[in-house]
Amino acid sequence: MEAQVQGLNIAPTSLIIIGIVLLTYFILIAWFGGFFTKFSKDVNDFFYSGQRFAWWLGAASMIATGIGSYSYLKYSQQGVETGLSSAMTYTNDWFIIPFFMFGWLPIIYFSRVRSIPEYFARRFNDTARYIALVIILAYMLFYIGYNLFTMGVALEGLLGISMYWSIPLTTLIVGGYVTFGGQTAVIFTDLAQGIMLYIAGAIAIIVGIVALGGLGEWWAWLPVTHRLPFVHLFNDYKFNTAELFWGEALAGSIAFTFMNQGFIMRYLALKSVNEGRKACIFNVLFTLPFSAIIVGAVGWIAKSLIVKQAAMGGALEGLNPIHIANYYHTFLIVVWECLHQNALVFGFVVAALSAALMSTVDTLINACAAVGIYDIYKPLIKKNASERHYLIAARWVSVIFTVVGLILSFSFIGMEGSLMSIHYKGIMLIIPALVTTIFLGAFWRRFNSKAACISMVVGAVLTFATEFSPAMTDLLIDPIANFVLGAGLLSKKYIYMRALFGMIVTALVGIVVTLVTARESDEKTKGLTICTLEDAKKIYKGSDRLNETVGKKVGQLSVEFNQSLKEDMISVSQKTMDQLKAVAEDMIYVEDQRWWLGGLRSLHTKAANAHNKSDDIIMMNKKTWENGLFLDGKKLKIEKIF
Amino acid sequence: MEPCQCKNKVLIPVLIVVVLVFTYFFPRFILNNFDASDPWASYLYQYGFGLVTFLIGLLLIFKTKAIKLGRGSETFWFGWLIAGFFIFAIGHAVWIYLALNTPVKG
Repeated sequence: MEAQVQGLNIAPTSLIIIGIVLLTYFILIAWFGGFFTKFSKDVNDFFYSGQRFAWWLGAASMIATGIGSYSYLKYSQQGVETGLSSAMTYTNDWFIIPFFMFGWLPIIYFSRVRSIPEYFARRFNDTARYIALVIILAYMLFYIGYNLFTMGVALEGLLGISMYWSIPLTTLIVGGYVTFGGQTAVIFTDLAQGIMLYIAGAIAIIVGIVALGGLGEWWAWLPVTHRLPFVHLFNDYKFNTAELFWGEALAGSIAFTFMNQGFIMRYLALKSVNEGRKACIFNVLFTLPFSAIIVGAVGWIAKSLIVKQAAMGGALEGLNPIHIANYYHTFLIVVWECLHQNALVFGFVVAALSAALMSTVDTLINACAAVGIYDIYKPLIKKNASERHYLIAARWVSVIFTVVGLILSFSFIGMEGSLMSIHYKGIMLIIPALVTTIFLGAFWRRFNSKAACISMVVGAVLTFATEFSPAMTDLLIDPIANFVLGAGLLSKKYIYMRALFGMIVTALVGIVVTLVTARESDEKTKGLTICTLEDAKKIYKGSDRLNETVGKKVGQLSVEFNQSLKEDMISVSQKTMDQLKAVAEDMIYVEDQRWWLGGLRSLHTKAANAHNKSDDIIMMNKKTWENGLFLDGKKLKIEKIF
Repeated sequence: MEPCQCKNKVLIPVLIVVVLVFTYFFPRFILNNFDASDPWASYLYQYGFGLVTFLIGLLLIFKTKAIKLGRGSETFWFGWLIAGFFIFAIGHAVWIYLALNTPVKG
């Protein structure tokens, strides 16, 4: 790490400036997150923000969640090594979107499950729940530890602070605002940090392009191999198109969208399934490709710079010679040099790295805490306590998982291999069994509890076993690779194919056990599989009648209190009801008129019979008004959900 | 409630066989017609298997009535699903074309 400090050649004064910028950023973000503490009035708000936010808020906060501190380092390294194909993992998710948008999303939203293990408890049994819990926690804690570790590496390289100090410092700050703020704080700080990430990424890209002499120059100096969106079909076991399809586009994408508790909680925080679909489409179609540019472009620029520099026979005008001895530090070296060693702006860019870390880790800590409360504390330790008790417990659980993540991060120190290989080796081992069981559970009604438990255990154990036994790799993975690639890899080293093997084993065991064991009652799966989505909607609404005619949103409504109305019921005029295309008992979403609040002040209600007053009046109980966190004199807007 | 049509005893086995046959022959077809380093080989591999995955997803959601054109905003969402696939497929094809057919200095 000392060599890296010398490599960047940062003067002590510059280091102090970078440190001050970082510290200021940390304090500001902790204060910003702390501000939203007041919006977590119960444990549901703490974790899910009460299903009330607009799609754009969820989608925007997913930007920062999806980009970790490791993303900049990992993708810049990949960018300089293989070029624009580093974007592959960000642009191959569309294939599984029909399963998510019309299958998994409505299932988890309407069934109001709070975590994947809770889904397993309801869909299967408690044994399945706890097997899933172990895998999910392994997955999330792996990510927390990995993110903290990469941030520690970056800070140690930049500021010369030992990782044993830099990791605990960042952990303390992130853990602090998650512990006190909860999901609302996470969503709003992630929104702010997402903006920071994009601004800092844009700065890094612009200065790099300017240093090269413009966009045309960048493209012209990029070798053809580095311009392509795909790498070789299968020559490099670390990064090849064929394996990436099975391991990353299928297993990885399903894991990220179906079982990443952090993302799931974002979707559950939105006001409706339709808003979830909007957020999903926006995320996959726009955010992910754009994020691929933000995290990878510095690597692409670095490649052009190196090629142009070599062709010109020396440093480019106005720049020091760029020599990247270790591609792992591509991002930091290129940005520092292209910024002409401006410590203030560089400090801001490094703060964005911290933003990336914090926004990923805060989501994961909050998600782990949700699992801890709903799957361990509530069912096993304290069943019937007050909301206040669970809120306090949730904060303590956040602290515990933060500390566990911190301890795990230390275990990465000294590990051999690139960031990319450490990351995918871990993920491809952890995810396949659970991903497949979720898939079978959601899309095959016949799939039963015994099959879920046995297939998860067998799938996970066999997948892990292949990592430690080359003979098993030869015997089990190589034939699969031959089948789906048309030829096995010469190196016989498989990273991504391990995930396909795990999925196949889990699916086969699951199917066989299901077919040879007794069928479970259909009643048990009601609302929890794709075949029973209508039931899910009815259970969610609390009524057998679904009104899915699309109506208009109606705004500029003034509140009038009417204590005779039940809590969480509202009444509007008949004309407004007609515009909404709603009838009594329909589910209505009420929010503050100001769109930019994104649903921060809002709630779900049911429509009572129409009143006879003016069309711009919405009547409700005082308690309903308080539940929506509405403000005096502020107009409201309503829409029918169904 | 309309009955779910996912209990089709013929469709699923047939589908599994078709997918297995495709999975075996498609990579071999690519390797027989393209060099493995050709970007179009990688493109075909990703979008060939991607299309199969995508179509299975569509088949599943239509068969189970998770999506029903004309209900709520679901026609709109279906349009986006199809458009999204083509946006990525066409985008990647144009990208490869430009990468191969614009002048290189380096």
